[in-house]
Amino acid sequence: MRCEECADKLDRFVDRELTTTEALEVQLHLESCPDCMDHYDFEQQLRLKVKSSCDCDRAPQIFRDKLREILS
Amino acid sequence: MAEPAAGTAFAEEALTHLDTLYRGALRLTRDPDQAQDLVQEAYLRALRYQHSYQPGTNMKAWLFAIMRNLFWDRFKGSRKEDVSLDDVGDFVLFEKLRDEGARPEGDVLDKIAASEVVTAVDKLPPLHREVVLLVDVEGFSYKDAADTLGVPIGTVMSRLHRARQQLQKSLYDYAVESGIVHADGAKQVPQQ
Repeated sequence: MRCEECADKLDRFVDRELTTTEALEVQLHLESCPDCMDHYDFEQQLRLKVKSSCDCDRAPQIFRDKLREILS
Repeated sequence: MAEPAAGTAFAEEALTHLDTLYRGALRLTRDPDQAQDLVQEAYLRALRYQHSYQPGTNMKAWLFAIMRNLFWDRFKGSRKEDVSLDDVGDFVLFEKLRDEGARPEGDVLDKIAASEVVTAVDKLPPLHREVVLLVDVEGFSYKDAADTLGVPIGTVMSRLHRARQQLQKSLYDYAVESGIVHADGAKQVPQQ
């Protein structure tokens, strides 16, 4: 696999959306290419950053209680 | 103890997904009061149409679909033309940072505040924002996201791709403006 192909599939690899065979090919390339491995690590870090930044909001307890009352 | 009534059991299960719905509503409306109104209405609608939910399928996706459809009906009047994204070209933050000499590139991410990431997500057009919310924040598969949004998987992938590029561009611009990286190619990331 060439680096261009790896870069092209990296998003889907991080998202776990490649077929098993494709994922294995990307994995093999990453293990032999430090530059692509750095890129992979960065993309993973970026995903975690977006997730952790946006998923800390919780529904307020008072709203949760109100909903439970309305729905029961 | 008596078994809960079917409706109560349904409501209880539905309420386990409240945080996901609330977060989604908050990011879509960008207003806590409107988010609560939207979520409450979504739950009332879900309860009313609970017969159309197939037990064993993805309830979180089903509820999210109800909520986002209400959002587009109530808040956007079903106007979904709001799809414009600045053309940022093929923007890859990793490569941009590497070009600027910021190594390791991940250090730049550590220096960007969570609130700046939320701001960058909020700046995305709603059709692109909701894909990021589903896939990147809530961990939906492309297929579940496609089912939730009522679009083909290819549409999810293209919206996600463009949304992520825009997001990366916004984060890069912020990093330059705040001095985290130097666009003139300075070879270091300043320490905080």
